[in-house]
Amino acid sequence: MIEPLQAKGESGIDYTGKKIGMWIFLFTELLFFGGMFLLYSIFRAQYPSEFHISAREENLVLGTINTFALLTSSLFIALSIAAIRRGNKKQSLWLQGLTILCGIIFLVIKYFEWSEKIAKGIYPDSPVLLGMGSGETLFFGLYYMMTGIHGLHVLIGILVIAVMLHFTRQDTITSQNYVKLENTGLYWHFVDIVWIYLFPLFYLIT
Amino acid sequence: MNEIEEKSFYQAMGRYRGILGWLISTDHKKIGIMYLGALLCFFSVGVTLGILIRLSLIAPGMFLSAQHYNQLFTVHGIVMIFLFIIPGIPVAFGNFLLPLMIGAKDVAFPRLNRFTWWLYLAGAFIVLLALATGGGPPDTGWTFYAPYSIESKTNVSLAVFGVFVLGFSSIFTGLNFVTTIHRMRAPGMEWFRMPLFVWTLYATGWVQILATPVLAITLLFIVLGRFIGIGFFDPTRGGDPILYEHLFWIYSHPAVYIMVLPAMGIISEIVPVFARKRIFGYHAIALSALAIASVGYLVWGHHMFTSGMSDTARVIFSFITFLVAVPSGVKIFNWVSTLYKGSIEVAAPLLFALSFIFLFSIGGLTGLIIGSLAPSLHLHGTYFIVAHFHYVMFGGAGFSFFAGLHYWFPKMFGKMYSEKWAKRGWFFLFVGFNVLYFSMFILGYEGMPRRYFEPPPQYHGWSVISTIGSWLLATGILIILSNLVRALFKGEKASANPWGGRTLEWTVSSPPPRENFIHGPVIATDPYGFEGKK
Amino acid sequence: MPTMLLGPANTSGRVDETFIYIVGISAVLLLLVTGCMIYFVVRYSRKRHPQAEEVKESVWLEVFWTVVPTLLALSMFYFGWVNFKYIRTPVKDAISVNVVASKWAWLFIYENGKRSDVLRVPVNKPVRLVLTSADVIHSLYIPAFRIKEDCVPGIKTYLGFNANETGTYDIFCTEYCGVGHSQMLSKVIVISGEEFAKWYETTEASGAAKKGQLLLQDKGCLGCHSIDGSKKAGPSFKGLYRARETVITNGAERTVIVDDAYIKDYVRHPNIDIVKGYQPIMPVIPVTDAELALLVEYIKTLK
Ligand code: HEA
Ligand code: HEA
Ligand code: HEC
Ligand code: CUA
Ligand SMILES: [Cu+2]
Repeated sequence: MIEPLQAKGESGIDYTGKKIGMWIFLFTELLFFGGMFLLYSIFRAQYPSEFHISAREENLVLGTINTFALLTSSLFIALSIAAIRRGNKKQSLWLQGLTILCGIIFLVIKYFEWSEKIAKGIYPDSPVLLGMGSGETLFFGLYYMMTGIHGLHVLIGILVIAVMLHFTRQDTITSQNYVKLENTGLYWHFVDIVWIYLFPLFYLIT
Repeated sequence: MNEIEEKSFYQAMGRYRGILGWLISTDHKKIGIMYLGALLCFFSVGVTLGILIRLSLIAPGMFLSAQHYNQLFTVHGIVMIFLFIIPGIPVAFGNFLLPLMIGAKDVAFPRLNRFTWWLYLAGAFIVLLALATGGGPPDTGWTFYAPYSIESKTNVSLAVFGVFVLGFSSIFTGLNFVTTIHRMRAPGMEWFRMPLFVWTLYATGWVQILATPVLAITLLFIVLGRFIGIGFFDPTRGGDPILYEHLFWIYSHPAVYIMVLPAMGIISEIVPVFARKRIFGYHAIALSALAIASVGYLVWGHHMFTSGMSDTARVIFSFITFLVAVPSGVKIFNWVSTLYKGSIEVAAPLLFALSFIFLFSIGGLTGLIIGSLAPSLHLHGTYFIVAHFHYVMFGGAGFSFFAGLHYWFPKMFGKMYSEKWAKRGWFFLFVGFNVLYFSMFILGYEGMPRRYFEPPPQYHGWSVISTIGSWLLATGILIILSNLVRALFKGEKASANPWGGRTLEWTVSSPPPRENFIHGPVIATDPYGFEGKK
Repeated sequence: MPTMLLGPANTSGRVDETFIYIVGISAVLLLLVTGCMIYFVVRYSRKRHPQAEEVKESVWLEVFWTVVPTLLALSMFYFGWVNFKYIRTPVKDAISVNVVASKWAWLFIYENGKRSDVLRVPVNKPVRLVLTSADVIHSLYIPAFRIKEDCVPGIKTYLGFNANETGTYDIFCTEYCGVGHSQMLSKVIVISGEEFAKWYETTEASGAAKKGQLLLQDKGCLGCHSIDGSKKAGPSFKGLYRARETVITNGAERTVIVDDAYIKDYVRHPNIDIVKGYQPIMPVIPVTDAELALLVEYIKTLK
């Protein structure tokens, strides 16, 4: 069923093996976020109306822009992989750069969203929040946790893509050997998908 | 097989010499040896703390205060669980042997492998740092139950963070091994021609991948709860402490199978070799490992039978707990049957392996008692639990670790230890073990609670007996370790295959050459063909 | 299904019954496994049996030792479940007692508002405990009755029993709760119905003394300090006032004479001075100035 050691491609790289490794890794990431989604659903069930009200605090416009930013970036990285496979190094470099740009836009907007809330006195352990009650405390606790950890993933993604950009320039990543870039793409799509779930949970279900 | 003497991997030169050459090596064998050394160090630390616990218990207050006692058992638990027994067998023996056993040059991701080793060191370092800084060693118990762990003034945050880092080391090891087993098997090594140790590493790898992330996120919430008041587990902020228990045990129950599955793999290697006979029920043993790994996910609630969880949930968890015990039994029966009509040589590794079967059975069967709803109302939180888990962890995984150490020692170091002293060490270890921990079953049934600095006076008698057992045990461990250390320097040279094993690691020289196999092996039979061999 | 086994409470026998059943089967299995193992090792040792014989795999054998243990395990589960259900099913007309656990003391509050730091119950009458905690998780354990249940902050849990014999039994805390965990002890005192009724009906005489005692009880002080001179985790309050004591402040010993200011300071900052011979486990318990004054007045009266 799975071809053994000797059946590697000519480049000596076990393409399937690397892909399996990446998929398993993404699976652990999924479980990592899964823990948080679990908490979200439990607390939401416990405090439905508080969650309902708190979600109105969220800035839907900024959230929507961010969703577009990430979706577009996912498209860019997919295109950059297609480009390198065709051997079009220059195009691929450009597209990777654009992906990073979208990621940065996402983070900057997130920064403004967070500062807006913090200015209102809504942040973990703040007197304002504690005064609001348990449901609200949990909602915003989850909000900061989940978007924070997601933001961290975006940041890591940006750094990894930057490294890939470097590799592509140096011809470590080529039309023959692009599995690194492809795995980075998988990671980036994963980060995108997590956001697709976060967005409705915090912004849409009011 | 190996007429020509090759250079062993110890002599193989990389870019750097000395310590650095080791630390930056991606050779799975070197990484395995380094892990082994680190593990034995942490084991010695944990074990010394265990002795101190026993000393304090027979004379509370004599030389330790209550606070110190609490920190002592917490650190003992953390070191033993997260630094020794969970990584234990996979990182030391798995790393060294997995590629050899499946006929590969190395693991699938050698550099990731080296990274896990660094992560392990970093995690261990952070845990040790936590002992010396902030409010001192944590005092929460290794379970870090909220809300106590959120309030405690000791340095819980750093210790928990260390465990978080160790968790990632564990995830990547699992990922690496699973991919290796899928992709790197030599031609002809079909799934059902893999040695059973490899099977258990495969099952363990999946458990590591699936369970550890949940622990990571849970521990993160504890740290954030302490620093920025995220109140997910804090009832005064609407959080729920029982939720913490759930999330913790969702990882930590599967973790007990991370400890014991590879241990069972080692037993499955040793028993047939010393009985000179094909293992009985190969398929059943292989599949039961997968069964344990998968059903083992669904029983975490049995740690919470008195936590205030709903009675219905308790019934369901108890039911599944009983199901997960069956595949362990299947393994035990098959090992014993392998001995039937064999030609058995009771060498040190087999002695440890047989002790495993006996001690693990006691540990496992007492697991059934506390997995049953009514008795658990009485026994939860008592020394009965302490006895149960030392029997399965030390009597099971620990004895198996020693079995593996004696079995593969000649392969790893190319030296032979003194058989006579190994057996003497075993004797003290075995007797001391039972005196030490069987007394705890009695204490537990009589109602002595665990984590008690000063047990009520009616429990003093058995406590003293138990403490005496710990001294016998210590004697045993000292004999065993000094015997092995002596062998490192003065032992006779070991041949490639001193035990007559049939798995691939015995076909290369001891210690193996850098590249493992000169010609990639091709496999045509199963790993346990002893027909006609003496 | 009634049980043959008895004990000091209706729950004891139920637990022991399941325990003995599982231990019995386990012992047989263990003997079987170990017996075969030792027999094979001796009978087929290399000396006696130099050449191993191949034994054919047997699917039937595998099925046999999968199915039989499964059935045994299910019977164990069933037994445990039945007795668990019996123990956990609430009984009508039970006396209800609220239990508040705190670091590191027990408080039992009866339906008529009566408070106590030991659990007094009448014999042969069902009792239902409603448990909660004021701080971290604790667990109420009565070894003689074979039952326990955690006290979790923020929620209520329950525990029920019916004592068969009069007597005094230990209560332990079995969920780790910090430095005073092993000192968080109390008693169940099972007394006859009349005795209980008498105790239950006597309303505490009002007056400063009684008020002081009640306050000590409420704040959990009596978990660690006695008022009759007996030794607990902390020094007894009896004869404390005006006593000469050695305390350790920042590692240095000094002698003090206990007065009003000393007691007040102590309660506010219990861990600055440590009384020699004791563990520094006294928690900071919030008390108002008025309460504190009352406490001091009361402690003065304990000569
Ligand atoms: C190596 C680690 C290890 C292993 C393998 C096990 C295996 C098992 N454990 Fe254990 N357990 C721990 C480590 C382990 N445990 C630890 C560390 C704790 C405490 C943590 C803490 O609170 O600090 C704990 C606590 C613990 C509890 C919670 C106690 C409490 O706090 O109230 C329970 C309850 O069900 C339990 C049950 C079991 C069962 C049913 C098995 C089964 O898998 C055992 C299966 C094996 C056998 C049954 C023996 C062999 C079989 C036969 C001889 C055949 C006959 C069998 C049948 C009739 C079915 N364990
Ligand atoms: C693999 C796991 C493992 C192992 C091997 C051990 C080993 C030992 N444990 Fe461990 N124990 C745990 C895991 C383990 N423990 C866990 C998880 C807990 C729960 C913690 C908690 O509640 O949070 C626990 C709790 C625990 C308690 C309960 C504390 C309490 O609840 O109050 C006790 C009490 O006796 C105890 C005792 C011992 C003893 C005496 C040993 C003995 O094996 C030690 C034997 C000692 C020696 C053999 C010493 C010999 C060696 C030397 C003297 C140094 C040698 C030096 C060189 C080699 C250089 N342990
Ligand atoms: C968990 C146990 C515990 C509780 C609860 C507790 N104490 Fe203490 N107390 C101690 C211990 C132990 C000491 C002695 C060691 C020390 O200094 O901490 C002590 C010491 C004292 C002393 C000094 C006694 C001396 O001999 O100098 C006073 C006064 C005192 N406590 C009052 C109180 C009051 C009032 C309360 C309730 C509001 C209370 N304690 C609650 C454990 C406790
Ligand atoms: Cu309260 Cu332990
Ligand atoms: Cu478990």
